[in-house]
Amino acid sequence: MNETIEKRHMGLRASRALSNTIIYILLIIMSVIWLIPFVCIVLQSFRCESTWQVGYVIPQQWGFDNYVRLWQTNFPRWYLNTFIIALVVAALQTIIVLCMSYTLSRFRFRARAGLMRFMLILGMFPGMLAMIILYRVLDDLGLTGNNSLPGLILVYVASSGMGYYVSKGFFDTISKSLDEAARIDGATRAQVLTKIILPLSKPIVIYTILTGFMGPWGDFVFARYVSQLKPLGMNVAVGLQSWLATDTMTFNNYTLFCAGGVVVALPVALLFMFLQKYYVEGVTGGAVKG
Amino acid sequence: MASVKLTKVKKVYDNKVVAVHDFDLDIKDKEFVVFVGPSGCGKSTTLRMIAGLEDISDGTVEIDGVVVNDLQPKDRGIAMVFQNYALYPHMTVYDNIAFSLRLQKVPEDVIYEKVTNAAEILGITDYLLRKPRALSGGQRQRVAIGRAMVRDSKVFLMDEPLSNLDAKLRNQMRAEIILLRQKLDTTFIYVTHDQTEAMTLGDRIVIMKDGYIMQVGTPTEVFEMPKNLFVAEFIGAPKMNIMTTELVKEGGKYYVTPFGSKIVVDGEKGEMLAKAGAESGEILLGVRPEHIVLSKTKENAIRCTLEVNEMMGSELHLHVFTEDGTRLIVRIPTIDLTPEDRASLVRGKELYISFEGKVMHFFDKETQKNLLVPQD
Repeated sequence: MNETIEKRHMGLRASRALSNTIIYILLIIMSVIWLIPFVCIVLQSFRCESTWQVGYVIPQQWGFDNYVRLWQTNFPRWYLNTFIIALVVAALQTIIVLCMSYTLSRFRFRARAGLMRFMLILGMFPGMLAMIILYRVLDDLGLTGNNSLPGLILVYVASSGMGYYVSKGFFDTISKSLDEAARIDGATRAQVLTKIILPLSKPIVIYTILTGFMGPWGDFVFARYVSQLKPLGMNVAVGLQSWLATDTMTFNNYTLFCAGGVVVALPVALLFMFLQKYYVEGVTGGAVKG
Repeated sequence: MASVKLTKVKKVYDNKVVAVHDFDLDIKDKEFVVFVGPSGCGKSTTLRMIAGLEDISDGTVEIDGVVVNDLQPKDRGIAMVFQNYALYPHMTVYDNIAFSLRLQKVPEDVIYEKVTNAAEILGITDYLLRKPRALSGGQRQRVAIGRAMVRDSKVFLMDEPLSNLDAKLRNQMRAEIILLRQKLDTTFIYVTHDQTEAMTLGDRIVIMKDGYIMQVGTPTEVFEMPKNLFVAEFIGAPKMNIMTTELVKEGGKYYVTPFGSKIVVDGEKGEMLAKAGAESGEILLGVRPEHIVLSKTKENAIRCTLEVNEMMGSELHLHVFTEDGTRLIVRIPTIDLTPEDRASLVRGKELYISFEGKVMHFFDKETQKNLLVPQD
């Protein structure tokens, strides 16, 4: 009897080991596929023997030439543009999204259900649809071309209230009696949000900040359209792409483009590395009976 | 330290469901009032309306003579303990208790004194620097009580504070709440669905059903003189036995005829029936399980068959069926029984039970109201 149990146990262990092996092999293959373009770009950015596209990956002559050249172009300006836009948008969007989510999670007002349904439907239309009219509005306000910075911020922030789903969902899981206890303890609604709900929602706050930052950081379509390729109004994505606009330009700028790409990817990669732990950290233990 | 007065308080939800109907109650200063009733009876809703967590649809709530209908919870001078403790999980026990004081910008040294003092009373000094998740249920509930204590509030509200604890701890905490009440000397409003808690804690008990108050009274009043069948069955465990029977008035004397027997209603209860002008007719007769005795004789006793014998330690709960299939519960102290008696009480045994007139409760068959209690 014991032997059969033992055998069965061994069998289970073996099959688990096998399925784990298969899963790991698959994951390794997938990550290699994902990493190839990135590795190529990093290697190309250190290539000094030529500036055009070549048929090999490992540079023959290594150096920082491309990175040095970057700072002699408009790239620092674009980088700063993008950084300012992303930072401001992340800050404003986080505030708006969190307030919106808290409101929809905790308050029961007449228009609540209708508003949520309306935003759901509105969210089904791609943002691109509004591009032409948005451009006309921004143009009338003088916020296009070289002035596109505030214009872009306006566009990115304007619709942020609609991104409430994830954080509202999280707030919904926090017991309402915490709000009630805090209100009896003398907290205003704003204090309940800042002193009770937000400290308990760190992962969601981080997530909101990250998405708020990432959106404008990598945006191409709106930035391209609003900046109209004016040198002072472009962000990094548009600027880098402008270096590859024609075959001749690609011939001169390909390795430079790769160096720019690496510099753009750096802050985001670092941000993710440092904030990753908040994605998995659960913090609500012990709030209510559990 | 304050009186609380509820006048025609009503709660109607958006979907037109009425949770509380015209609730009238005068709670005196330093009184301990318990709202009790089955789930959905509106007891928690009423408490939450007093706390300001729920809008009052109609009527007024006064605390210390001030109408508080439109005041924020924090401005009502109340403290509240929740069923699920509602401790702030990201704060230590100390910070949890200090939270309300910090919001009031009380100096830190005063906060320190108050928090340690409350912790001392509740016996949680050792846990002050722990987070709530590192505490047991009983300790968490103590922290929740501590948080309410430091507010020096006029009224202490408790919403089923012991329901999440296991039975043993519940008994212990119940005793501690009695002690706490003596120390705090303030007005308490306590919500529970547990009649034992209501009976042991309350100066007065408010029994509710479907949003209506069924009876307000001291534990003795609601136990001995339940106003209606619902209160009679709700208070007391195991619940009161109810039998449909005939009340017969004969020559100025009353007797009842449950299951073919004939039991005279003598003494005080008989006089009260006469005073109430009770007439012959079919009624509902209530007798508590502990008031039924095993009869030695067959005369004027009810014949029944034993179905289940529950050994509770100091007493036996006998579930018996009468000849017409009515189920009754009889509570017998174990100490009165010889070992032979106990051994003979097995399923299927034929028993004769009886009870005296003074333990009877009489309810109108239609209105289910107690014939002996003046109704308003």
